[in-house]
Amino acid sequence: MNINITFAIAGLVATSMAYGSAVNLIEGYRNAGAGPFSSDAGGSAWTRQHQSSSGEDTRSCSSCHGTDITQPGRHIGTGKPIEPMAISMNSARLNDPEKVEKWFRRNCRWTLGRECAAQEKGDFIQFMTSQ
Amino acid sequence: MKKTISIIVLGILFIASIGAVMSSSEWSDREEERYEKQSESDDHEHGLFRGAWLDSRADVRPVENETYQSECGGCHFAYQAGLLPGQDWQRIMDALVEHYGDDATLDELQAAEIRGYLLDNAADSSTLSRARAFSVGSDAGDALPRITNTRYFQREHYEIPKRVVRGNAEVGSFSNCQACHRTADAGIYNEHQVVIPGFGKWDD
Amino acid sequence: MHETILHSHDNIHQPKANMVRVWDPLLRLFHWSLAGSFAIAYVTEDDLLALHVWAGYLILGLIMIRVLWGFVGPRYSRWSDFVKQPTEIFTYLKAVIQSRAARHLGHNPAGGAMVVALMLSLLFTGFTGLAVYGAQELSGPMAPLFGGLSEGWAHALEDIHEVLANLTLLLVLLHLVGVALASLQHRENLVSAMITGLKRSGIE
Repeated sequence: MNINITFAIAGLVATSMAYGSAVNLIEGYRNAGAGPFSSDAGGSAWTRQHQSSSGEDTRSCSSCHGTDITQPGRHIGTGKPIEPMAISMNSARLNDPEKVEKWFRRNCRWTLGRECAAQEKGDFIQFMTSQ
Repeated sequence: MKKTISIIVLGILFIASIGAVMSSSEWSDREEERYEKQSESDDHEHGLFRGAWLDSRADVRPVENETYQSECGGCHFAYQAGLLPGQDWQRIMDALVEHYGDDATLDELQAAEIRGYLLDNAADSSTLSRARAFSVGSDAGDALPRITNTRYFQREHYEIPKRVVRGNAEVGSFSNCQACHRTADAGIYNEHQVVIPGFGKWDD
Repeated sequence: MHETILHSHDNIHQPKANMVRVWDPLLRLFHWSLAGSFAIAYVTEDDLLALHVWAGYLILGLIMIRVLWGFVGPRYSRWSDFVKQPTEIFTYLKAVIQSRAARHLGHNPAGGAMVVALMLSLLFTGFTGLAVYGAQELSGPMAPLFGGLSEGWAHALEDIHEVLANLTLLLVLLHLVGVALASLQHRENLVSAMITGLKRSGIE
């Protein structure tokens, strides 16, 4: 009984921390002049196809992370499994803002061929917290 | 006395040549017939004298650097530093912006730390003979170095039919080490610990 | 007739009056070191490669010493004492099967043939091992010579080395059978003889 309560409290704390981190990130993007943010916009941007720089193939976020972000993804080149992007499945996902920015930088450049704007990043965060 | 010795020598050579013949029949069949699909639970029984008696120790030193593990192990298996010679690691660290089709740039501090770690533990600096083998025959070509292109790697994977790796949805490429080498992150790549998804234990 | 057998126990370095020293200390040390090294080499194979290679070098070294010793050592260690013509060996084997083989203080003809066979088999195994170490593992003194061989050849060498190692094991087993048979047929403990060097004296 006590163990169950401990787990429940730990889960609540982790979840609230996760959403807390998401809120902090959103605040940052709002201060940069972006907003309002929508998870629908984030979701449709997630699957939008982009031409690669070589023109040979198209890429989207879902190429590696999948369309159902509660499921693990796979790196399209190496096959390495990637933990789910949904906060509900992975509460520590957004806890490190530096890490978040690093992956946005790398992955937007690879997928879209450019850095993502604050608006796009905010929409993506909303999408990840809604799943 | 001489007659006895000659007979024995001929006998041994004869048996050795049987070994060579057995090997050469593998050359012709190796791509297709040799390795058949089997369920994962079918643990191929070897002959009386086959298979591992002992657990292996690391062939290359496992990754000990946290930064390397988290920064470089995010998209792909965290390849141990002992898998390439120092000069190859330098070329990779110099070209992170075009990292095998990806952008892997790091901030300066992290890049410096990782570069130092890789050079300290590179194949040509290792005391382990298998790690050192990865530095043999490497040349500074134009293309980015690949562990899978090293002479030692190609020798060790010579017998593997491509279809169990490239044609295998659960593996995909030879760069996906730990798909088959289940103890890869401990630096142990011994063939006796290889289990190919969908095919079972590697039967040499 | 009354036979008196003298047993002198006061000086442990002197054999008992009815015992004679057959195997000299170097020979005995050689024998057990060889047996131990082969066991280590066989069991470690490439799971503990460094240890395996070390055992292999030791085996080759021991055999070199034994070959020399067979020319300059005491009587029963010399090649000339026990390496016989094939016909004599087969005659002796037939006699063993019929349980009427003569007792020899040194190696009997079959034992003598086994000595040669085992050493040659070990030599071939060791040399192919050196070749594999150079061709496949790209290490050791043969690496510059064999490192450039094709993967197919490297693998062939590996298979040959394995076949020869198993042949050696087979010979070891036959050797054990032979020792057991001879011990039974002549009512003596040949294993302890190879430890103490002493055998019951008698007519050869």
